[in-house]
Amino acid sequence: MPISRRTTAAILPLLLSSMALTGCGGGDDGGGSRADGKIEGKIRFQTWNLRANFKDYFNGLIDAFEKKYPDVKVTWLDQPAENYAEKLSADAGSGNLPDVVNVSPDLAHPLAKAGVLMNLDREKASSRYRSEYTPEAWRGNALPGLDGTYAFPWYLNTGPMFYNKALFRKAGLDPADPPRSYDELFSAADTMARATDGEVATLAGTPSVEDFGRYGVQLMNGDATAFTYNERKGVELLTRYKKLYDKGGLDGQALTNTPEKAGQKFLEQKVAMNPGSAHDLETFKRDAPSLYKNLGITEAPNNTGKPNMYVMGLAVKENSEHKAAAIAFAHFVTDGRNQESFAHQVAIFPSTRGSLDKPYWTHDDGTDEGRVRVASAKLLKGAVNYTPVVMSDEMKTVLQNEVAKALQGKKSPKEALDDAVAQSNKLLQQG
Amino acid sequence: MRRHSTAPASRTHRAASPWLFLLPGLAVVTAFTLYPFLTTVHQAFTDTRTLTGGSWVGLENFRTMLDDEQFTVGLRNSLLYVVMVVPCTVLLPLLLALLVRRQIPGVTFFRAAFYTPVVASVVVVSLIWAWMLDDRGLVNGILTFLGASPVAFLGDQWLLLFSAMALTVWKGLGYYMIIYLAALANVPPELHEAAAVDGAGAVRRFLSVTVPAVRSTMVLVGALSSVAAFKVFSEVYLLAGPTGGPAGQDTTLVMLVQRVGTGLNGRVGYASALSLVVFAITLVLMLLVLRADRREEPT
Amino acid sequence: MRRASGWEKALRYLLLLAVLALTVGPFLWQLSTSLKGTTEDIYTSPPAFLPEHPTLDNYSGVADIVPVWDYALNSLKVAVANVLTNCVGAAMAGYALARLRFRGRKAAGLAFVMALLVPLESIIIAQFTTMRELELNNTLTAVVLPGAVSALNVLLMRNAFAALPYEVEEAAVIDGANVWQRFLRIGLPSVKGTLAVVAIFAFMGAWDDFLWPLIVLSDSDKFTLTVGLNYLHGTFANNPRLVAAGTIIAVAPLIVMFACLQRYFFRGVGEGAIKG
Repeated sequence: MPISRRTTAAILPLLLSSMALTGCGGGDDGGGSRADGKIEGKIRFQTWNLRANFKDYFNGLIDAFEKKYPDVKVTWLDQPAENYAEKLSADAGSGNLPDVVNVSPDLAHPLAKAGVLMNLDREKASSRYRSEYTPEAWRGNALPGLDGTYAFPWYLNTGPMFYNKALFRKAGLDPADPPRSYDELFSAADTMARATDGEVATLAGTPSVEDFGRYGVQLMNGDATAFTYNERKGVELLTRYKKLYDKGGLDGQALTNTPEKAGQKFLEQKVAMNPGSAHDLETFKRDAPSLYKNLGITEAPNNTGKPNMYVMGLAVKENSEHKAAAIAFAHFVTDGRNQESFAHQVAIFPSTRGSLDKPYWTHDDGTDEGRVRVASAKLLKGAVNYTPVVMSDEMKTVLQNEVAKALQGKKSPKEALDDAVAQSNKLLQQG
Repeated sequence: MRRHSTAPASRTHRAASPWLFLLPGLAVVTAFTLYPFLTTVHQAFTDTRTLTGGSWVGLENFRTMLDDEQFTVGLRNSLLYVVMVVPCTVLLPLLLALLVRRQIPGVTFFRAAFYTPVVASVVVVSLIWAWMLDDRGLVNGILTFLGASPVAFLGDQWLLLFSAMALTVWKGLGYYMIIYLAALANVPPELHEAAAVDGAGAVRRFLSVTVPAVRSTMVLVGALSSVAAFKVFSEVYLLAGPTGGPAGQDTTLVMLVQRVGTGLNGRVGYASALSLVVFAITLVLMLLVLRADRREEPT
Repeated sequence: MRRASGWEKALRYLLLLAVLALTVGPFLWQLSTSLKGTTEDIYTSPPAFLPEHPTLDNYSGVADIVPVWDYALNSLKVAVANVLTNCVGAAMAGYALARLRFRGRKAAGLAFVMALLVPLESIIIAQFTTMRELELNNTLTAVVLPGAVSALNVLLMRNAFAALPYEVEEAAVIDGANVWQRFLRIGLPSVKGTLAVVAIFAFMGAWDDFLWPLIVLSDSDKFTLTVGLNYLHGTFANNPRLVAAGTIIAVAPLIVMFACLQRYFFRGVGEGAIKG
């Protein structure tokens, strides 16, 4: 094609500079300031989908902090639920990450690995707060292979399992005795499928990595360098799910249902059991009064005795220009008083030491919310975050897709899990 | 470009003004499309990650593709999309254009109404479709009312893909209808009448008068819609979900680019290599169609 | 013109109505869902097209969660800016490509064709990096810039200008008009219709875009409507009524705008703007 000499001359420098550009990945804006410096300056604070419901809480929090430290100005940013990882990667890749960021451990891991988050254990200014949090929560934000904790523990959550008593009754199951172990779950699901002729499914989704964890499957090796969920127990769990799927114990769209979609199926009373959070009570009351009347609440089936928990944290940017202020603010938001007051607003749980022993979480006030709250708080002691922090979204997709293939009968459960582990380990080594 | 042999400008504008005219457009396209694409081309040969720069790995990423089962699935689905969607987007809008061609009362309303799906964003339209095709959505509501049993449109690999294709065709109807209307405006109505007097039936008239007259437009529509169909992303992503339907069997190539290359652990290098493949195939599709066009009207 | 017989006319209208139901029906169904109150079952069989007790509660519900008006204003700013830059930039570039002869014209044309083929999903991060180097992140300018002059629009304008007969300009050249005068006085007025097409495409593109504004904006005060409405999806996925109201809010301004401009739009089409 005829490109004139002038055009070539114009394109060449562009080409060269693009080559140079790719060398720089993680953003480096210089070293950042000292962690034990003066608490002052303008910092940015980013939450994940909290503005819609808790605008007043956060504005109050920021006002209180600014009153305490008049030299600090906090700008609050909030991101929508979807594509949060995209947003973080664009910001981190260009050195634009906010000073204090709301992350879960699986998001913190790649960020810390790229060197954009501060190691809280290494700085005295932050590690001195360690004793304020429960040991599990502090450890929950520690990252394998990175030698340290990279986020202040923030709120915890554990999902109760909701079930539909009316559907249980219809199938001849005892609504007062929901399944507690996986054995009981599979046998209840069996009865349900037979009694309703496959009309009502027991579960809306396929097993997730947390299910494997609660079943007692060894998910990874000790130093988190290889996946191991294709062990005997993993294959056993998937085989049982496969049988259940064949009998109609899983929803017809189970292979494609997202958690939102699964919630909707439960709302429509097409599915008898669904994991959820105390959040959902409000939705049930409003959108499905007839379901609410028959709502049963239990804990997710469990073979290990340790329930699953979700951990949220606040990380500090490594080269923040006002690190001392960022640490102070991250600690302020996650300190006992503020976590407890946040947990009074919405059904989440504080990760600060001693908080869960307070009456609000130990004495049931007779309401449904109260009952769920006390039950969940009890579960949280000894709960673990089953999802390995090194498991990226792509690896979760790999597991989900291979599980689906096993359920469809395209592969045996053993083959499917072997393949999933092989693919995930390959991805892990490349990282 | 037609007839520029006598272009009056050749004398006066050797100087800077043509480039001044081009400056805004060329600057934007270069800075925000072509230059980033050069980066992509370079990264295709590295193992760059979202947060870490990569080193040169030669053709490694392309070798990875050969063993990647999802790549095969994506290629199959994207090609299938072209094969299934393009004939529909070439034919149906033409028939629609014939329907609204004549100035009959109310026709402007119908034209505008048929264009509505084009105006709405894919995200919105997909939400609407997902809601209609749901187990208990509008379509199944109508089916059960008619005594048929409900169909799980969003649960089956093939039904999902076909639903997405139907959505693409539906959304494109108005857009391509307009292109055909413009072309039909140049076909003298007398041709049709002569054929009608000869006693040719509607089908014969369509094949012997209309089709030859709009043939080059059909080629253009074919080119545009095959490029768009091969690059399909939103419709499938939104209906089948981010993981691409049951067991990922509905993944298309661009969805794979998105899945592999994004997130905090994104394999940017591999995703770039996949983008290059997408680019190359669309280029080939485009050239094939343009070549067919050139054969139609020799210059 | 030949007279159409009665039954032929009836058949034509019947077909028109059938297509109408297919193209507009889904939007009406969404509108109807958004007007149904919480007491009304939305899963009935046969489906109920008319809400029993129409209510605007869902719309105020959306406005409670999302500052709809602020976001709509941001979207409007972005869309209007995008219309202006595209009309000006694409018209100028299209004119140069179609009507001026100079060295490198083919290469310039090729640049636009290549740009058309680039899969946008793959360059979004590189675009973000560029934006950061220009220190424009988190501004509405950054939202507008990458699509400020789209390659497709340039090619549309090129085709429109190329279709004008040369004789018109010949006279102007003899009168001594320079190239800018010819562009403004003769070129532009003859392609008004295509400009309307470009304007509508530009408005739609900017209003509907989701991923790019999400990436480039951090501060939720600056969000555009599509990004802001995403709060609904995350928070209230279980409430189809609210989601329906949100989608109607997103789509209604476009439909209204199109309804107002459709006369010019179809005239533009008549000029053979999109034709090859």
